[in-house]
Amino acid sequence: MAIVIQPYRQEHEPAVQEFNRRLQQSSGDPNLVFSQNAIPRWLPPASNNPVWNEFFVAVEGSSVRGAYALKQEQIFTRGKGLHRVACYHHPLSEGIVDRAYASVGALLARDALARQPFLYALGMGGADRPIAKMLKALGFSLTPIPFYFHVLHPAKFLLEMQALRQKRWRAILMNLAAATGTGWLAIKSAQAVARLRGRPGNFTAEEVSEFSDWTENLWNQVKDTVSLAAVRDANTLRLLYPPQAANIKRLRISRNGAALGWAIVGERRQDAKFGNMRVGSIVDCWASPENSAAVVRAAIQSLEKEGVDLIASNQSHQGWCGAFGSAGFLKGPSTFVFAASKRLTELLQPLDETRPSFHITRADGDGLPANF
Amino acid sequence: MTATVFDQIRTMASDLFGVPVDQISAASSAQTLDNWDSIQHLNLVLAVEEKFGLQLSPEEIEQMKTVGDTAKLVESKLQAAPR
Repeated sequence: MAIVIQPYRQEHEPAVQEFNRRLQQSSGDPNLVFSQNAIPRWLPPASNNPVWNEFFVAVEGSSVRGAYALKQEQIFTRGKGLHRVACYHHPLSEGIVDRAYASVGALLARDALARQPFLYALGMGGADRPIAKMLKALGFSLTPIPFYFHVLHPAKFLLEMQALRQKRWRAILMNLAAATGTGWLAIKSAQAVARLRGRPGNFTAEEVSEFSDWTENLWNQVKDTVSLAAVRDANTLRLLYPPQAANIKRLRISRNGAALGWAIVGERRQDAKFGNMRVGSIVDCWASPENSAAVVRAAIQSLEKEGVDLIASNQSHQGWCGAFGSAGFLKGPSTFVFAASKRLTELLQPLDETRPSFHITRADGDGLPANF
Repeated sequence: MTATVFDQIRTMASDLFGVPVDQISAASSAQTLDNWDSIQHLNLVLAVEEKFGLQLSPEEIEQMKTVGDTAKLVESKLQAAPR
């Protein structure tokens, strides 16, 4: 029976539940799950909304064999203005557990491209993961987005950072460094040396309950300093970070009353790779390059007050990368990759020149609800 | 002598799936070839399109369940193509 990809409707929900059950039962991976609701809970389609999610399912008779989501949004590209694009996310195929459906992955990706040729994907767990490989085969350009981290409690970091402790000899060394204080000294020294490189000047930071019109001015003032950014005007920000989102903080950073920038900070969900550490994240941020250092310092101070052990962020813009480095952040290996379709890559040419000023953060793509 | 469509697709499959040509038959499929996963299926689609100058529809991609199915599909598309 032919497989047909169509918009996910309420009548498909029982078949999606069955699809999830088969994937989880055969793979043992609880994360292999597609939305049980045909209407997205995060960014549902609504008239006049500039950003929304859509779901699609690959149907064979009465069974669902695959599914994916598109986040429809607008991007700004310097010199070329606004363009409508879509983020391809949460693709799932029965082919993961049943080779008879090996074709479904290709069908999903091609269907998404047919619906929106200006397509991108973000994250994916690294360029060596299946989705990234598949998109590369389809001609997508891949750009790793640097990962930065700042250790607030070195002893806990050394004892709990499971991702670094997988080799026995390394775990022993980390235990030793934590017990003797040499680890504390090494991490604090590296961060202090980095901090010497920049001073943010005076600033005031306040938590705000929602992003109002002042963010519109900032969007317009700053956007020409980036070669690519998902639109972050006031209307879009209110949808992405609504007042009822209690798991994040919206920070307004100002100097002498004038807004310099904003940041979104939050504490990530517990994740096995971070052990029992409390991990804060600078999820999103916006400011001109000369004011980025103040925004980063304000975000650190906010998360420090929350008592997190480690702060993490993904940043692509060279100005923000510099500001994070100057604030004492260290750069780690990144598994967060930006994949742009052929048409989108054409729009971003010349890539070698535009890439350093892409403004891509953890909040782009589908990142926010998954991790917070 | 020109290679048949089946021979050409068998060679393609051999390269993509890392299996000697003589171990690939018309019945070879994702269930019988270890490396025939979703990524290699896509690579097979792209390789077929490039080699034969074809554009495959979603329905046709799904028909490519075995090497023999793929060869039959390509042959029928080549015959139907305007000369």
